[in-house]
Amino acid sequence: MGVVRFFGQRLARLAVSLVAVSIITFGLLQLAPGNFADIQRVTSGATSIAGTGTESMLAETQARYGDDTPVVQQYLTFMKGVVTWDMGPSYRYAGRAVEDIIAAAFPVSATLAVLAVLLALLIAVPAGVFAAMRQNSKADHATMFGVTLGHALPNYLIAAFLILIFTAFLGWFPSSGWERPEHVFLPVVALALGPAAVLARYVRSSMLETLREEYVTAAMAKGGPYRTVVVRHALRNSLIPLVTVVGPLLAALMTGTVFVEALFRIPGLGYYAATAAASRDMPLLMGTVLFFALIIMVVNLLVDLTYGILDPRIRAEGGWTSSRLRKVSTQQV
Amino acid sequence: MDVIAAAEGLHSTGLEPDAGAAGAGETVARARARGPWRKAWDRFKRNRLALISLVMCGVLVVVAFAAPWIAPHHYADTDYEALLAGAGADGHLLGTDQLGRDILSRTLYGLRTALIVAFGAELLALLCALVVGLAAGYRGGRAEQGLMAFTDVMYAFPSYLFAIVMVAVLGRSIFALIVAIGIAGWVTQARLVRAQVLSIKQREYVEAARAMGASGPTIAVRYILPNAIGPMLVTTSFAIPAAIAAEAGLGLLGLGVQPPTPSWGGMISEGTRYLLSAPHMLLAPACVFALALLAFTWVGDGVRDAFDPRGDRR
Repeated sequence: MGVVRFFGQRLARLAVSLVAVSIITFGLLQLAPGNFADIQRVTSGATSIAGTGTESMLAETQARYGDDTPVVQQYLTFMKGVVTWDMGPSYRYAGRAVEDIIAAAFPVSATLAVLAVLLALLIAVPAGVFAAMRQNSKADHATMFGVTLGHALPNYLIAAFLILIFTAFLGWFPSSGWERPEHVFLPVVALALGPAAVLARYVRSSMLETLREEYVTAAMAKGGPYRTVVVRHALRNSLIPLVTVVGPLLAALMTGTVFVEALFRIPGLGYYAATAAASRDMPLLMGTVLFFALIIMVVNLLVDLTYGILDPRIRAEGGWTSSRLRKVSTQQV
Repeated sequence: MDVIAAAEGLHSTGLEPDAGAAGAGETVARARARGPWRKAWDRFKRNRLALISLVMCGVLVVVAFAAPWIAPHHYADTDYEALLAGAGADGHLLGTDQLGRDILSRTLYGLRTALIVAFGAELLALLCALVVGLAAGYRGGRAEQGLMAFTDVMYAFPSYLFAIVMVAVLGRSIFALIVAIGIAGWVTQARLVRAQVLSIKQREYVEAARAMGASGPTIAVRYILPNAIGPMLVTTSFAIPAAIAAEAGLGLLGLGVQPPTPSWGGMISEGTRYLLSAPHMLLAPACVFALALLAFTWVGDGVRDAFDPRGDRR
């Protein structure tokens, strides 16, 4: 099967899934009392939008969605806005358009996610190699205990402990904000520890497997220095499966920053999605949810394509749906 | 699939994984006489961490149940004499928050909220998963196609985002949280049930039952379901700590239960606001939260190892 056809099929499936997500979200939000344009009028008092801008915003929403238009019509109007990248004003953030908020917030979340993945790799690879080389030693058990902790505790709880230690007791780092470089440290560490645990476990088991391979024994028998054999022969080959985990992890992190962003009050995508949900800012909520779904699907697509490049067998079979990995990406972080 | 196969494999060879040299024959004989459940329990018991965690979970459940009697104060009682009092203050073992509410009491009631939501959500998810998974696996056809299409979409829809949307729709109540978290989590489990059913359906005893004229629903419930429960128990025991974390996460975003009902997420969020003057506001709920999560996770680990002896052990 040709690469082009494979790519085309996947793109088509992506579009269908995206439409399905948008219908589910829009349909669910319709169940909330009031129609799409109406909700703002009902809740504008409760969400304490300042008087300025509200009138014009109301008029704009009114003009966009009409007064008593049927649900389907409202959905189509919204989706047209999505496609033309013009989703109208946000209810919660008076005077700002949804697409502008997303455009401003996405780089923040992406920065957090990329830094967290890099830090996670920096922690996980040495830790995993170390644990594998001393299998069943006390150091191995200690590392794996740390891995269990990183697995079990959600990133906002790790963040809470980090804040307690580094802000309340040591006073080294600020606990909220996103203006200065020192604001970056705590959220990135909080985000990185969970993925680091996942990756360290992969590195360890992968290392253990490669260390048993015959070519490693052969390299040892040839009398090369232990360290060279481990790094050049074993580590190199055991990092290949890691490539397949990092992609989904990055996608999961990019969308999983919600809690850390809320806790540290960082103006990222997740933060806006959460405030949009809390204040029933439907256009912003729809916009962010769709954008999140798009990120996840695009990354999954890229990962599948990378597999094809790395492993010709998958290419031959005509595209392997990586449902197992996708499960990792949406559930684990 | 693997779990059942492993259990059966053990059964047919009479192989007990940890049978010592002394009295090995006896152990094997006894193991033959026991059902797979008893053997799983035996394996679980040998895992000390899991056993301690199980006891810990039991204590947590009892404490959550008895919170109204154990807690020294009501969770909403305000003590204006002692605002933001530190730990050990008069009558407040773990101090008070910005409204003078007792942190210990709020943490205990927070445990109650967390467990009610977690168990409720998991029960709902399990019920949905069993019904849809059994139907999809046994009958196939439209139920199966529908499930597969739906799961494909849900994989692109992060579960917490789905929960956020659900709470935005349903409002902020315990019931809404149960529904939001339960619905967000059932799909993966339904797929697992379906996979189980597909493999069990081919077994000879199912064929025998069919040959003897048992009806479809009878076969599904009486012969297939009991054999699919082991793996389901494993996923369920991992889903409970996940649901506890989800409840706290939503609370953190301001989408948890309606205040003043305490939720650990809400308490953590408030704690960061009074961090410098009252770090105990953050410390107490964070520690109990971590303890509960670890206990339930380690029980999950124990259950997994008990049902799948070949699975990766740390």
